[in-house]
Amino acid sequence: MSQTLNWGRGFGLFNKTDAGQASEKTGEKVRNFKSLSLATALVASMVAGAEIQAADPVKGGTLVIGTTQKPRHLNPAVQSGTATAVPGTQIFATPLRFDENWTPQPYLAESWSISDDGLSITLNLRKNARFHDGEPVTSEDVAFSIQTVKDNHPFKTMFAPVEKVDTPDAHTAIIHFSRAHPAALLAMSSALLPILPKHVYGDGQDPKSHSANNNPVGSGPFKIVEFKPGEHVILERNPDYFIEDRPHLDRVIVKHYKDSNSLTLAADKGEVDMYPFVTNTRNIGRLKKNAKLEVTSQGYAAVGPVNWLAFNTKNEFLSDVRVRKAIAFATDKNFIINALHGGFSQRTAGPVVPGSPFHAPGVEAYDLDLDKANALLDEAGHAKKDGGMRFKLRVDYIPGVAEQQKAIAEYLKPQLKKVGIEVEVRAAPDFPTWSKRVSGHDFDMTMDIVFNWGDPVIGVHRTYTCDNIRKGVIWSNTQSYCNEEVDDILSKAGVEPDPDARAALYRKAQAIIVDEVPIAFINTVPYHTAYSKKIGNPPISIWGAMAPLDEVFKTK
Amino acid sequence: MAQSDYTDVMIQGGIPKAEHPVSEAWRMFRRNYAAMFGLVLLGVLVLITLVGPLVYSVDPFEIVWAPLTPPGQEAAAPLGTDYLGRDILAGLIHGGVATLAVGLAAAFITVTIGLTVGALAGFYLGLVDDILMRVTEFFQVLPALMFAMVLVTLFSSSLTVIAIAIGLVSWPPTARLARAEFLRIRNLEYVSAARSVGAKNPRIIWRVILPNALPPLIVSATLTIGTAILFEAGLSFLGLSDPNTYSWGYMIGSGRDNILDAWWAVTLPGGTIFITVLAVSLIGDGLNDAFNPKLRER
Repeated sequence: MSQTLNWGRGFGLFNKTDAGQASEKTGEKVRNFKSLSLATALVASMVAGAEIQAADPVKGGTLVIGTTQKPRHLNPAVQSGTATAVPGTQIFATPLRFDENWTPQPYLAESWSISDDGLSITLNLRKNARFHDGEPVTSEDVAFSIQTVKDNHPFKTMFAPVEKVDTPDAHTAIIHFSRAHPAALLAMSSALLPILPKHVYGDGQDPKSHSANNNPVGSGPFKIVEFKPGEHVILERNPDYFIEDRPHLDRVIVKHYKDSNSLTLAADKGEVDMYPFVTNTRNIGRLKKNAKLEVTSQGYAAVGPVNWLAFNTKNEFLSDVRVRKAIAFATDKNFIINALHGGFSQRTAGPVVPGSPFHAPGVEAYDLDLDKANALLDEAGHAKKDGGMRFKLRVDYIPGVAEQQKAIAEYLKPQLKKVGIEVEVRAAPDFPTWSKRVSGHDFDMTMDIVFNWGDPVIGVHRTYTCDNIRKGVIWSNTQSYCNEEVDDILSKAGVEPDPDARAALYRKAQAIIVDEVPIAFINTVPYHTAYSKKIGNPPISIWGAMAPLDEVFKTK
Repeated sequence: MAQSDYTDVMIQGGIPKAEHPVSEAWRMFRRNYAAMFGLVLLGVLVLITLVGPLVYSVDPFEIVWAPLTPPGQEAAAPLGTDYLGRDILAGLIHGGVATLAVGLAAAFITVTIGLTVGALAGFYLGLVDDILMRVTEFFQVLPALMFAMVLVTLFSSSLTVIAIAIGLVSWPPTARLARAEFLRIRNLEYVSAARSVGAKNPRIIWRVILPNALPPLIVSATLTIGTAILFEAGLSFLGLSDPNTYSWGYMIGSGRDNILDAWWAVTLPGGTIFITVLAVSLIGDGLNDAFNPKLRER
């Protein structure tokens, strides 16, 4: 079979119409991005989501959410990841929330303002907000929570520039930064800044292992009834919720399933009302066929999950940018997206996902070109030896997300053989094994999935800055990629208050990164949410199900 | 065969003539249709495995057509393709070597360890027996599949490790069998006779007892090959196959995720493994019947 076979056109069966679906909203998001502007001193107070109009909300009912992600505990202040975030955002309220157009909305803060120099943000808290134990939510709690997250959350960059938080009165918190920090607004939403009750968590216990992490007290729309690790989290309506007439639902149950296949069957049978983070494209296809379900790719703009092939730039072969480029050119992204992922994944050529305002369109896409790949490898001085092979590389992958990771690692074996690179697929039996290898820089190439987490300062910088080459830390700069120019642009972009200028800086940095290929970017993970047609106001904001479900209702 | 022949053998007791029991067993084996069927089946499979790759030279790792193409749809992949678009037929033909090699290697390890431990324990008795049997029991109470998984996880999922792991978890029954045989035979007259003419222990173990203890061990070794192949398939199903060597087990492991959409990616290698293990088991049963004098008159 010809090696230049075009998978996109070669087989009519791959031309799924779903492929372009997710990109439709991109333009809209970029336009609305201006509203993120920090220069805008005051954003009008507005009840979040009031513009979402559906059938009349129904009171009561239980929403069952199915998930395969099992949380260790329920305190998002000290734990990242979707497993803790989905129940965590129901229990804990945050100062702000975001709609589906990247526009910040009032939440615990009924309004906020940013100083002209961008060095401080003033939050005006709601006066009627109370924790589930009846205590009022005060600025003291906000200050305490920011400090706790700053000290304990794995995303160090979120609040690193915070110098201090002033609390002139019980309902005003002024956050002072050492430098302008445009990512701060996003870092105050979803699961990133849960407002913890100081009177519970401020008792001197280590917040990472605090006894209340399994039985948390927050101020969000739902409160904890029962948390059985590995089985379920049962939440019930908070009757004293600070937004009137919310939430609509009486109960939310997050039910844990063993694997995605059994959860898909459960969703198919109607055992669960909502299945967020569906990744497997065959399961997506299966759920789409179910007439009782809606399936949407909306709700994942902020997570921004990128599936990529990372190179250890300290490897004797991969230290040469020509070798890395050759591998990028030899990898057929079209085949991966259309044939392996049934057209549900979306191509991303750079570090920031297409749904984000900081996405860089027009960077080198490394479309399949085996001749170019061979030429680059020859040029790099790795002539084909006997048997047509040049050298050997190992490829690792995260176990458990077969379609995104293992499939591509296995695909690389025959594919890179075509350009004379022998690939040894190194399977890891479990996540810790993979994580230990990669964070210990004991790898040649690895498949990886890294989230954007909304703002590049939170989820993107970490992969590329020289000072984040930290052995032992997974999802740091494990590629050992270091370019001072990139560092410089990124640090400028991190403090640039003007969103357009900021986006321009990020585009510049991405162009350099893509050109130097510490990572061959492949696709965005095709997260979808399947939900019963009985569900109204499904979670489609940029944070999806990692946001308060106080608008969601269920018809009988 | 005349009745007197049997009486002859019985009268001669256990003093074996080197070829006699083997050719007799072969005669018995040949009369066993099921066993012969197994032998022919295995012969065909081995032939396909050894000669097939020369005839059908498609690289099993190569992506030849659209992923998950059903069998009989494309000439490029007559038995369909797996989730990457690799040719199932090429996989079946090329994957046999690794699978059979794992089976044989694991059986070899099983018999080597089992026989050594069992022979020493059964022959020397006393403290040696106590120690070796406690060790055997230790291995016997470990859940075999779990233990094998731990070994493969701890080291790597390469075919060598898998074969060693299977061997390490499956030797205790062989050891017990060998010990029982040695216990039985060590007190028979011809062993005493050998000792009385001055034969040393190693010689008695190696030349006198072992040949007489072999028949049940050969049967057990044969069946172990089948078990080992199934074991490899089981480990593969759990995702612990060697991703760099094409084996039938690997095919099952990689096709498992799509079992609802593509039955052929799992069923075809699964069926092949089934046939192989069936053939091996039939041969094992045939050998058992052939070697067991009590069953000869059946």
